[in-house]
Amino acid sequence: MIIDRPMDRDKLLDSYIKITGLNFARGHRAIFNGANLNIPRGKVTAIMGPSGIGKTTLLRLIGGQIKPDSGEILLNGRDVTKFKRRELFDARKKIGMLFQSGALFTDLSVYENVAFPLRAHTKLPEDMIRDIVLMKLHAVGLRGARDLMPSELSGGMTRRVALARTIALDPELILYDEPFAGQDPIAMGVLVQLIRLLNDALGLTSVLVSHDITESLSICDHAIIIADGQVIGEGAPSELRKSESPLVKQFLNGLPDGPVPFHFPATNYRTDLLG
Amino acid sequence: MVDFFIKVGRSGLEYSSALGRSGLFLFHSVFGLMLNLKGLRLLVHQLYKVGVLSLVIIVVSGLFIGMVLALQGYSILVDYGSEQAVGQMVALTLVRELGPVVAALLFAGRAGSALTAEIGLMKATEQLSSMEMMGVDPLKRVIAPRLWAGFITMPILAAIFSAVGVFGGLLVGVDWLGVYEGSFWANMQSSVDFKEDVLNGMIKSIVFGVVCSWIAVFQGYDSEPTSEGISIATTKTVVYSSLSVLGLDFLLTAVMFG
Amino acid sequence: MYQRSIEITVGVFMLLGFIALSFLALQVSGLSMDSQKDTYKIYAQFDDLGGLSVRGRVSLAGVTIGRVSAISLDKEVYSALVEMEIFQDVDSLSADSVASIQTAGLLGEKYVSLSVGGDEEVLVDGDTIFDTQSALNLEKIIGAFASGDISL
Repeated sequence: MIIDRPMDRDKLLDSYIKITGLNFARGHRAIFNGANLNIPRGKVTAIMGPSGIGKTTLLRLIGGQIKPDSGEILLNGRDVTKFKRRELFDARKKIGMLFQSGALFTDLSVYENVAFPLRAHTKLPEDMIRDIVLMKLHAVGLRGARDLMPSELSGGMTRRVALARTIALDPELILYDEPFAGQDPIAMGVLVQLIRLLNDALGLTSVLVSHDITESLSICDHAIIIADGQVIGEGAPSELRKSESPLVKQFLNGLPDGPVPFHFPATNYRTDLLG
Repeated sequence: MVDFFIKVGRSGLEYSSALGRSGLFLFHSVFGLMLNLKGLRLLVHQLYKVGVLSLVIIVVSGLFIGMVLALQGYSILVDYGSEQAVGQMVALTLVRELGPVVAALLFAGRAGSALTAEIGLMKATEQLSSMEMMGVDPLKRVIAPRLWAGFITMPILAAIFSAVGVFGGLLVGVDWLGVYEGSFWANMQSSVDFKEDVLNGMIKSIVFGVVCSWIAVFQGYDSEPTSEGISIATTKTVVYSSLSVLGLDFLLTAVMFG
Repeated sequence: MYQRSIEITVGVFMLLGFIALSFLALQVSGLSMDSQKDTYKIYAQFDDLGGLSVRGRVSLAGVTIGRVSAISLDKEVYSALVEMEIFQDVDSLSADSVASIQTAGLLGEKYVSLSVGGDEEVLVDGDTIFDTQSALNLEKIIGAFASGDISL
């Protein structure tokens, strides 16, 4: 990728993903409504927001699995929305995505799961694949579990194996979909540490989508809060905590009612009850 | 009234878009088979799951259907004193009709529903998505081998079904009811033609194989990724496959033997 | 090892399919390997085919020696023209052979039965048999019997 104009280059250097004017609707419900956001290169970015706000959808949009109704999603300077099928599959080799459920292939062992992307995309001899798989499994602390089947793993281990599989091809970008959901405190601590370590050791750009505010803020360099299809707050965790915006405050402090109402829009309670 | 037309129009659009999607899906998958050692391995694995595991139900049903045909045929033919024609009746019925049709119905129930549920679950547990995100096309890696396994398996199962059925007819007709074995075979051979009957039957089963596997993998791939969605998709697979097989059988019979 | 056993069973499965198909071909439909052997054509004219159809058997002394390959109407004499393919190795049918349409059993299929005469000359490709007997028409016989034209 060659950039002629120096201005563009400056922009590219600081952001790995740049989304402008994103519109996306599912059925009649608008999920994104002209959202703009930047994800800095080499940092851990947390995207937070109430559930059902389209955080997972955002990751799928970045990965090109679904197309937005309008808007640009620049990934390393190239628009994902304009990729052809083949280009998309090539681009995805540089992206790792950790799914909420781990999404391990249930008919393959732990070892084969981690080896899967290597076998699919490289022509490495078997002994080299073995070395890489063991290295990646060692990095997540599960080298001893290589012969287990996914059904024999606990939730936390499943996610760690999935993480090992995600980094098997040494991606530039890792997308984490709710990495902390449904984890016990120890597993959560392990994952928090792994995400931070991997990001710094491999020089990755990490994006994690979560509604676990404490954990997310504790590891991220940059946080983005989304509500109502828009970005409502952005910045380093310390800046966000100082924010005066009532929405950001409500979200960070976990208040039940506020700008994001407790009640789903409905008619007057009294008239509803009395008919 | 207007509401009614709107509803009809909307469901019409929905059906045609589903048909279009499934057509594109079939196109991408059929030509997505990997023609190398890895692709062959995947195909063999699916042939095992789709074909070998369906063998027991096919053999047992074939045997019993052949036996019943001989029994029923004998009781009718004996009135006309032409019970030696029982072999010809069993063979023609099996080779032309029951072999391809019943094998396809059993295939839809045994292998088709399993394919749908498996693919639907892979989708629900995000395995297909994660494969996509790894830059591996699930149409090539997951769908194509299953589709081709179905294509290849169906005619084989139909041939085995018919052959076992004839054997069942032989057991009942000759060993039990005492039809002379020589005329049992001779009548059969003089009335069954290889091209007209056996090959046309095979063509039928190839068509059924394509349709049943297509429906099964598409329903799985297109299913709603929830437990209810998978159960609906599995039901749809069996219902749609059975109806298409019976409908197509009528069409093909009209063209081939009409 | 697991993959290997799967490969073997799939191989056996394919083999079973092949055996079943050959069984259907050879034993059920009576397709013989030499059915494609060379043939030559002879013709015969009949007044009444009585239900003889294409693919019908042509036999000599009960042995199948060929099959009916085409049936057409000869418009000049308004009779049926039957084209028969006779196996090449049956090359000594005398020129004065008689062709008759017969029925296998009382209600069975119609076939052409040839009986040879004493002529030195033999039928070759393209020849026509003129001495023929049409099908025995059951309805006609019963009709004649009922109206008293013939009596037992």
